Amino acid sequence: MLPSYLTMAAILFCIGLYGALVKRNAVIVLLSIELMLNAVNLNLVAFSKYGVVPSLTGQVFALFTITVAAAEAAVGVAVLIALFRARGTVNLDEFDEMRR
Amino acid sequence: MDQFTQTAWLIPLFPFAAFLLLTALGRSYRRAGVLIGSIGSLAALVMSLLVFFERLDPDAVDYSDGFKWIDLGVYVLRIGFEVTNLNALMLVIVTAVSFLVNVYSAGYMKKDERITVFYGYVALFTFAMLGLVLSDNMLVFYIFWELVGVCSFLLVGFWYAKPAARAAAKKAFIVTRIGDAGLLLGVIVLFWYMPGHALDFSSIHNVFSEGQTGAITMSITTSIALLLFMGVIGKSGQFPLHVWLPDAMEGPTPISALIHAATMVAAGVFLLARTFDIFEASAAAMHTVAYLGGFTAIFAATVALAQNDIKRILAYSTISQLGYMVMAMGLGSMTGGIFHLFTHAFFKALLFLAAGSIIHAVHTQNIQEMGGLGSKMRITTWTFAIGALSLSGIPPFSGFWSKDLILAFALDENPFLFVIGLVAAFCTALYMSRLFFIVFMGKSRLQQQAQVRESSKVMTIPLIVLAVLSVGAGFVETPWNGWLGGWLTGGGEEVHASAAAIVASIAVGVLGIYVGWLMFGKGSIERGAAAARMPWLANLLERQYYMNEFYNLMIVKPVRGLGKGLYAFDEYVIGGAVRLIGFTSVAGGRVLTRMNNGQAQVYGLTAVIGLLVIIAAIVGRRFW
Amino acid sequence: MTDLTDLPILSIILVTPLIGLLVVLLLPKHRNRWLQTAAIIATLIPLVLSFWLYADYDKHQGGSTYEETATWVEVPLNKETQASNGVMSYTMEFQYELGIDGLSLPLIILTTLITAMAAFASIHVKKRWKAFYVWFLLLETGVLGAFMARDLFLFFIFFEITLISMYFLIGIWGYFNRERAANQFVIYNGLGSAIMLIAFILLVNTAGFHIDQDTSSFIYSGSYADIARNLADPSAWVNLVPDQAGGMNPFHMSEKMHTVIFLLLVVAFGIKLPILPFHTWMLKVHNEAHPAIVMIHSGILLKMGAYGLIRFGIVLFPEQAKDWAVVLASLGLANLLYGALIAFRQTELKLVLAYSSISHMGIVLLGLAAFNEIGLQGAVFQLVSHGLISALLFLIVGSLYERTKTTTLSELGGLARSMPFISGVLLAGGLASLGLPGMSGFVGEFLSLLGLFDSQPWIAGFAVIGVILTAVYLLRAVLKTTFGPIDERYLAVKDARLIEALPMIVLLAFILLLGCYPSVLTDTLQYSVDGLFKPIFSLRMGG
Repeated sequence: MLPSYLTMAAILFCIGLYGALVKRNAVIVLLSIELMLNAVNLNLVAFSKYGVVPSLTGQVFALFTITVAAAEAAVGVAVLIALFRARGTVNLDEFDEMRR
Repeated sequence: MDQFTQTAWLIPLFPFAAFLLLTALGRSYRRAGVLIGSIGSLAALVMSLLVFFERLDPDAVDYSDGFKWIDLGVYVLRIGFEVTNLNALMLVIVTAVSFLVNVYSAGYMKKDERITVFYGYVALFTFAMLGLVLSDNMLVFYIFWELVGVCSFLLVGFWYAKPAARAAAKKAFIVTRIGDAGLLLGVIVLFWYMPGHALDFSSIHNVFSEGQTGAITMSITTSIALLLFMGVIGKSGQFPLHVWLPDAMEGPTPISALIHAATMVAAGVFLLARTFDIFEASAAAMHTVAYLGGFTAIFAATVALAQNDIKRILAYSTISQLGYMVMAMGLGSMTGGIFHLFTHAFFKALLFLAAGSIIHAVHTQNIQEMGGLGSKMRITTWTFAIGALSLSGIPPFSGFWSKDLILAFALDENPFLFVIGLVAAFCTALYMSRLFFIVFMGKSRLQQQAQVRESSKVMTIPLIVLAVLSVGAGFVETPWNGWLGGWLTGGGEEVHASAAAIVASIAVGVLGIYVGWLMFGKGSIERGAAAARMPWLANLLERQYYMNEFYNLMIVKPVRGLGKGLYAFDEYVIGGAVRLIGFTSVAGGRVLTRMNNGQAQVYGLTAVIGLLVIIAAIVGRRFW
Repeated sequence: MTDLTDLPILSIILVTPLIGLLVVLLLPKHRNRWLQTAAIIATLIPLVLSFWLYADYDKHQGGSTYEETATWVEVPLNKETQASNGVMSYTMEFQYELGIDGLSLPLIILTTLITAMAAFASIHVKKRWKAFYVWFLLLETGVLGAFMARDLFLFFIFFEITLISMYFLIGIWGYFNRERAANQFVIYNGLGSAIMLIAFILLVNTAGFHIDQDTSSFIYSGSYADIARNLADPSAWVNLVPDQAGGMNPFHMSEKMHTVIFLLLVVAFGIKLPILPFHTWMLKVHNEAHPAIVMIHSGILLKMGAYGLIRFGIVLFPEQAKDWAVVLASLGLANLLYGALIAFRQTELKLVLAYSSISHMGIVLLGLAAFNEIGLQGAVFQLVSHGLISALLFLIVGSLYERTKTTTLSELGGLARSMPFISGVLLAGGLASLGLPGMSGFVGEFLSLLGLFDSQPWIAGFAVIGVILTAVYLLRAVLKTTFGPIDERYLAVKDARLIEALPMIVLLAFILLLGCYPSVLTDTLQYSVDGLFKPIFSLRMGG
């Protein structure tokens, strides 16, 4: 059972990674990050059930992650809105403030 | 008693003290400078004579002493002096000529503003030469060998403002340095192969004179001998390294007499004598020495036939006579070589000083511009004549006896070289008579007639002394009296009387003078006849067999080219590589700056790539 | 004479320039005369002290009595570790450890001497005197420290101090292209230092430890004595393969690793020396830096490379050095001939001298590669001798440039007429440099070749060609400058002033002294060479 969960999580993570690195639209990037976090959650839960030493710690951790992810999404979207107001765009190519 | 022998180390110190004093005093004390230099060499002369007379005692034993120079761990290099009969003889030659030249220069260099510098250099040279003569081992010998070379360099370039003098000085130093490099290598090889790493002459004598006892193989002996001989070739102007000596005539004439005729150039022959056992142990080396000497003798004599500069003629004559000495050594006659060195020192110094007296009077060195000087400069003429007759090998002048000894020896050992020697002797007589008749006889061809006067006493007295010596020096060893040989080698007095050699050598000498008289004195043979018939030969001789051009083409230019090529290599290849590396890192920096564009996604990508590399490295290690 | 061993004489010598530096800092910056006087005094005191040290030095006993040790940095490393061999704790210590022997003593004297002479030569400095003397004195401390340090990290730090002060000295007070030269200098040498640091870290990690019996603690340190002892001892951990040490031995250094570290050291110090392909930086420095600085650079800093190569490369890794001796000798030969041939075609006096330095450093390599007592003595002698000679020559270059405003050979000539003294000294320096007997150059050259002939006769034979070439290029340069017809521009030029003549006479006197009686140097050297290289020579006899 474990390999199939892990494979699933890996595929999910790669899709998320691809989206986070390549997509221009900031909203899609945020969604991709959520995807990656969920891949991690999947792993945590899978190991807590089918791991060498099954325990609840993994599932608790997954709950925490979901909470933190929700908070992160909220902050992320807030920043995004602020940026949109300032610049009128959510295209990531146009944000290179770090360069200066 | 040998009290003077034991203090012989003082001899070089007299001129050295003079040198220090002269250097310290500076240029202003002109008269005092002359006096200091002359007194220094006079003291050395007196002391040398005392040592020499002590050595005349048949019971005198060789004496040597020294001190530690460098402790090498395996062996201690020492500085020391040694007095043997040979050394004592050389001491007298060097100090006598040096003293006379000092006196002579007081007149010759009178008007030169740097006369004290000149005296300082001469004193330094005398010191170095005496050190060379007294040295007790090869290393000290080499040290002084180089020092005399440097003094020669300084004195050849004494009139430094003349580009010709500068070039000549440089050439003299570098060409002899080529020989010296060989000598240095010879000393090094000797050091490693000698039992106990001993470099002193007495050990060399002991090791090599016992014949090949297996300590040193034949091939090593030969190579040591040939390497040492390289030094001789350079210093004594043997073919093919003779080219510096004619050019060295750019120096003041007293220097030509002292360094480039009587003493320093003879140092090579002296080296052969001191390391004679090494050469004797190797037949191949002996043959090389003999044939090269013979070749040089005839080669230089022919060149002298066609030169017009009085000092150049004498320089080639010196080369030729040195060839004689070297040939004598190679034939196995140390006595012959040293005897000729002894007589040659006096009559050639005489010839040079007389030539200096002429140049001083007429202000030119071209013999074609002289003529008819015989009536105006009587002392110079007579002394020059004595020197010339001596050089031409006419009895009873000293040159005859020494040349005859060599020729007699050659007749016994190697008839081919005997013939070579005879031909060279003929050429010698011919070019000397040519020189004599053109300069002293006939009509004057000078631009300014009136000014020609006999030189002052201070210059003529050394000439007279040397003339006396040139006549008398030959009687220490005659065909019926082998005193010198017995005294030098410590063996019995051998007599090399050979009627054939005597007759032949007198005959060629007289014939040479007669032909010379016919061509240049009486004029019954047209002067230009030979040259007109064979212009290529005349040209070849006049241009000194194109040796300078040859070296220029074959050595100087390639070395220059090589230097230039390597410089280009250094500049473009090595420098280029450095610049390339620099450029690469700058370019790399540019690329990395480009990546740093402020876009979070690019940073993320970089991080991921980095992560992958690390993972690959960790995982890959298992399979590596 | 008081007993020097009671005083921390090495530290005193080391600190005097620093005190001088403080004095200079306190002086007003426009008072050139005051500043220079202070600097000269600050360099003369170490000079006197180092001669005192030389007089006091007992060659049989070596320099052990002068050693000074203090723990400088102490870092405890995971104390809880309980190793199987009963060692309780691990500590890392860096020592302030100074010492001298017959190898470093001559170089220390050379340093103090040349720096003092360079301080005299600094009269030609035209601007920012205060900053100049500050860096100048810092440089002296750095060099002295490098020669005295007996701890790898201490050595490294002093080495870096010289680098930094040199960077500013070149970059601010040099000629036209000074900044480029300074940059190239610092990058090249920084690279060398980095490589050296890698080698040092590897050494400290494997061989740099000892066990303190009292506290039974295991102490890592950069102490040279520890490292040398461990590397030489076949039963030390560093030389035991894991099987012999009971399975695991993190200290083991394989044969391959020995070679790697040795080569790293050769490259690191080879850049400084410089060995052939790494020489471009020093040409620029010679050409662009102020002559007083080049005196120090060519006279002393190049010697630090050779010193490091001997002390860390050859003494610590004799077997590797022996295996690579042919390579070292070939590189030396290449340096010798390559430098000489190129020097022959240079049109700039300073570059002739720069290439001549490359050529002469080749002789040092040859002496080292000889791998016997004679060659090593020759190499060290050549170091000292070349230091003196090149310092003298650049001193003259400085004085010449002040008068003629050029050092291009084609524009010089006949200077013997208007400046007989300077020309005479230049000629003497040239003759010393080309190895005239009676001057120091000959002894170094002769001993190096003599030693080399025993181990590699053919290379020695070829090296003799260098003797000829050296004469060719040096005479060309010297005669072009001093002989020949004089240019009218230089007719009115004055000869050296006393303050310029003084250092020239002193340096020339030392060159002559070493040339006439080399025992003053070789005697101290002899016993140290014996002691330092005993393992090497036993190796040589054995294999």
